[in-house]
Amino acid sequence: MTRVSENSTTLSIRHTLNKHKSKMEDLQMKGTTLKSMRKPSDNPAANIEALQISSVTKDNSQFKRNADFALLQLNITEKALENLTDIMGKAKEIAIAQSSDIYNEDVRNNVANEVKQLKNLALSIANKRVGQRYIFSGFKTLDTPFNENGEYKGDNGHITLEVGKDFFVQVNLHGKEVFMAESETDSQVTHPLEKFPEMANSREKSKNREIMSEENNREIASSPIGVDAGKYKESANLFGLLDSLAISLENNDPDQIQNLLEKFDTAVTRLVTLRTRVGSVASSVMTNVNTIDANNIDNMERKSKLVDADVTELFSDITRQQEILKTAYKTSEGLLNKNLLDFLR
Amino acid sequence: MSTRLLNIANTGLNASKKSLEVTSHNISNANTEGYSRQRVHQQSNMPLIKDGLITGSGTRIKSINRVHDKFVEKKLRDSQSNESYYNNRAEQLSRVEDIFNEIDNEGLNQILNNFFNSFRDLANQPENETVRSVVRDKAQLIVKDFRRIAETLNEISKSIDDKIMISVKDANQHIDSIATLNRKIRELEATGDETGDLRDQRDLSVKELSKIIKIHTYQDERGNYNVQSPGIGTLVTAAQSQKLGTYVFGKDESTNGQDGSMEIFWASRSGQQITEKFQGGSLGAVIKVRNNDVKQLKEKLDQTAYEFMNYVNAIHRRGYVNREIQTDVNGNPVSMDNKGPTTGNNFFSAPMKIEGAALNIDLSDAIKSDISNIATALSPNSPGDNRVAIAISKLQHERLMSGGTATLEEDYLKTVGNVGLETGKAKLDAEQSEGLLAQANSIRERISGVSIDEEAANMIKYQHAYEAAAKVMKTANEMFDTVLSIKQ
Repeated sequence: MTRVSENSTTLSIRHTLNKHKSKMEDLQMKGTTLKSMRKPSDNPAANIEALQISSVTKDNSQFKRNADFALLQLNITEKALENLTDIMGKAKEIAIAQSSDIYNEDVRNNVANEVKQLKNLALSIANKRVGQRYIFSGFKTLDTPFNENGEYKGDNGHITLEVGKDFFVQVNLHGKEVFMAESETDSQVTHPLEKFPEMANSREKSKNREIMSEENNREIASSPIGVDAGKYKESANLFGLLDSLAISLENNDPDQIQNLLEKFDTAVTRLVTLRTRVGSVASSVMTNVNTIDANNIDNMERKSKLVDADVTELFSDITRQQEILKTAYKTSEGLLNKNLLDFLR
Repeated sequence: MSTRLLNIANTGLNASKKSLEVTSHNISNANTEGYSRQRVHQQSNMPLIKDGLITGSGTRIKSINRVHDKFVEKKLRDSQSNESYYNNRAEQLSRVEDIFNEIDNEGLNQILNNFFNSFRDLANQPENETVRSVVRDKAQLIVKDFRRIAETLNEISKSIDDKIMISVKDANQHIDSIATLNRKIRELEATGDETGDLRDQRDLSVKELSKIIKIHTYQDERGNYNVQSPGIGTLVTAAQSQKLGTYVFGKDESTNGQDGSMEIFWASRSGQQITEKFQGGSLGAVIKVRNNDVKQLKEKLDQTAYEFMNYVNAIHRRGYVNREIQTDVNGNPVSMDNKGPTTGNNFFSAPMKIEGAALNIDLSDAIKSDISNIATALSPNSPGDNRVAIAISKLQHERLMSGGTATLEEDYLKTVGNVGLETGKAKLDAEQSEGLLAQANSIRERISGVSIDEEAANMIKYQHAYEAAAKVMKTANEMFDTVLSIKQ
């Protein structure tokens, strides 16, 4: 038979009460915060996963912001190209009409003025701005890209933005490739860190990891704009073309106008191609935004599973624990303060 | 004849009285910590041969012993050491863990993330001054948070230093009292009997000492009671004690690489430092947290800060400042203007060495003085060029750490994970060791603790025996009277 002493009874009562109360306290805290985790040690693995998800979610909302910027830029570029196509189309119509001998010199002089107006219009499109930045001046976004003679003052910079993890898109066309019809720069979108050879070490390793996704993304991202713009190298620039038309009109030279027709054709086709490509980049950006949204929902769901407390389970646990504690109090009341001496009277 | 009867009754009376005294002593000490209940050993007296008959000669109290099990006592002591070790470890580690807790508020991981995203935002509109100042603010937050973590870790180390000093003082007191009690017990027990109360007090001191450090006790062949700590050596031999001392050391001689670190020595042999030899108990726990866990975290944090600053700087230096840069006669951009260098600026002030990088992290003077020094462009006079900004933002997903196997985030989260795991483990161990201690305590109290019920029953028993013995005396007295009345 086990011997029971006063102290062993108190000790065991104290131990059980303490245990139940600390359990109760833990549940209470979970109840007030509605989180199943309050400290990393509550569930180290889930804590890390939750933190990673927070990072991804934050990155995603940044990527969405980037996508907004990219779309703004791309849409304005597309609109500008559309207007430009209209102008060139109109000029081409004029050229077709004036390439025959029907019209006399006076008429041609008047038409020449119209063409000059078209050129001015094209110039104003070339110097279009979004906010404070010029869209066609490459990296020199704060400088007017074209002067009144149609000379290009910008550079060949291609601005890229990251609109999804490791998904870079080129968001601008520089004035040269649009108006001068020549593309010297390589428009492949490369990883930004490749410009920094000192990072080569880490690049090498990460490349292996992401080779699939990066390659795929770049395929979509890079092919749209100006990949084979090089073949238009021979064409004249747009302002020159309009100038030539105006001069030919002034000179009343239908043969010359006739000669220009083909160039106008090429120019219009080229602009249409550029436009389609800008459009397809914009649509890939939008698709990506949708992917990010879907991704965010999944992430929130996962995070909630990791961090949030199961309310039903929690409150039934609390009720149960309260009952246990009550019983423990009741039974210890009987054990304490009662001994043989109370009955020896 | 009647005299013998009177004598025998007298021994019974005395024995019952003594037993009642012991019962009373037990009841009085029912709540005394570390008290072991005492029991009388009653024995019949030597029988005598009288008139050819062997007859009894009453009773006597042979000894008063405490009820005690030294193996239970040893188990209790070890459980105490363990419980104290794990509880202290859990307590210190949960302080460490709080530093890395990002569940409710923003911690370093999210702040780093914000920093990279601010560079992404800057890449969207590199011309924008406001975004530039946002980038600088976010960078400032990183500086603050690295410092917060480094400083809090230092504070934890410092508070452990204080704890070490107080613990050593406490330990010395217990060592001293054990030695003193050893002497007193030897003096008292020279007469042959065991002194239960003093032994209880010594056991209590030993138990208190085992809360601070892990100890073993044994009695040598000459009856000397010794206390020894594994890894350290003998603390008490009979009445002799070896005390410990603490001294403050500078960074280079310290065991945890921090200035003002508290180190432990033998008080009598100041040459030999024994800080890291302590095992178990609260002292072993806090030393381990300070010299292993906190120290490693600090090193890891320094490493992270160092790499982070260097990588950001390496890219940033290649960029050009965001203002009009004049060109010289050959058309090359000038390298200096009235606001400082036009390229080659560091973003963070370049760290001198890995050690202390987290504590000394700061923005470079160029960035502090003018936000146009935040470079986004890889070519001069290109306000729309965002290549540097994008490259810096991409550092977030690069495997820069641990020899190119982990990104900054993965590496940092691994550290957070380890802290969580260690703390969780310590908490679990603490809970378990608490249970074991409660069990050991309960076993000890079952054997040695006072039961009021039992004492009450004994009281009745001895009281009755006393009454009966008194009755016998009365009878003897009446017998005397009878004999005396014959003569009248």
